[in-house]
Amino acid sequence: MVYGNMFIIVSVLAVSKFALADVCSKPEVSASAYTTQDATVLTDVAFVAEFTLNCGNHVTRLPLYAEVNGKMLPAAMVEDDDGYQISWTEDVKKAKRGDYSVILYDEEGYAALRKAIRNGEDPSSIKSLVTIVVNYPGAYNGPWLNSEFIAAILSVVVWYLAFSARSKLLA
Amino acid sequence: MSGKQSKAFTKEEELLLQDFSRNVSTKSSALFYGNAFIVSAIPIWLFWRIHMIDLYSSVISFIAVTLASTYLVALAYKNTKFVLKHKVAVKREEAVTREMTRKLAEDKKMSKKEKDERILWKKNEVADYEATTFSIFYNNALFLALVIFCSFYILRTFTPAVNYVLSVGAAGGLLALLSTGSQ
Repeated sequence: MVYGNMFIIVSVLAVSKFALADVCSKPEVSASAYTTQDATVLTDVAFVAEFTLNCGNHVTRLPLYAEVNGKMLPAAMVEDDDGYQISWTEDVKKAKRGDYSVILYDEEGYAALRKAIRNGEDPSSIKSLVTIVVNYPGAYNGPWLNSEFIAAILSVVVWYLAFSARSKLLA
Repeated sequence: MSGKQSKAFTKEEELLLQDFSRNVSTKSSALFYGNAFIVSAIPIWLFWRIHMIDLYSSVISFIAVTLASTYLVALAYKNTKFVLKHKVAVKREEAVTREMTRKLAEDKKMSKKEKDERILWKKNEVADYEATTFSIFYNNALFLALVIFCSFYILRTFTPAVNYVLSVGAAGGLLALLSTGSQ
């Protein structure tokens, strides 16, 4: 009986420790991002955001999830402590220039978010952990005027000059 | 060329102008065929470097299409020249007459008839030269514009080998066809 009580106390402690450890208080994040620069021969633009998360209560290796423009993504943990990576792709034509907000959630927040979406509630009411911003300055899609277009225009201009000279002669 | 032809000319200008035949001299013909060959061969470079055509497997079509297009382009040169020559002769008539008269004025020994003949001959020469060069310029510009437009836009989905044959063939054919119009 005594042993039984001990066991319960230990397990409650263990569970509460685990539950406490699962929350990151005062999160601080430092992020860097990469987006595709040359999309001349690509169909999709890649976004990669890397960040480190520092919690006020020194919690590490939390499973994190992200939401970008309605897309849910798990954050991959990078080898070194506190490092995470999130990556996704978007169609070259649909990818808009500008800032992309990557909203990070911990497991609890992620579960709540999914529930909110499932129930058709406003997902913005869910408390997120932290938000990082990925700027996409746009990718190079090849020259603005391609060379065959310029060649075609030039040849038409030359022909037009010849044609107007001919018309003048024939007039 | 001129010596032989000027004897056949009558003094009346109208007759002279009508006497310009569609046949071109050997020199002019060589110029036409030489130019036509060069301009017909130029698209090979375009297809080789830009459209990435396989050079060795397309040698036969290069030769056949270049020869056919040379013939068609030379035909267009001739037709355009024929149409232009009359008009050029009329346009330049006054200036040539004035210049030749001034030039020949000093020569007291020359008869009036001879002077007139010389003026006519000069007129023919000027008109022939201008019409020839202009015809080459005009047809080259049109041919290359047609080739570029066909190969890059109309036939862009075809394989380079088919694209080459069709675009150069169509450009040559269209050029010859357009040159047969009277205007």
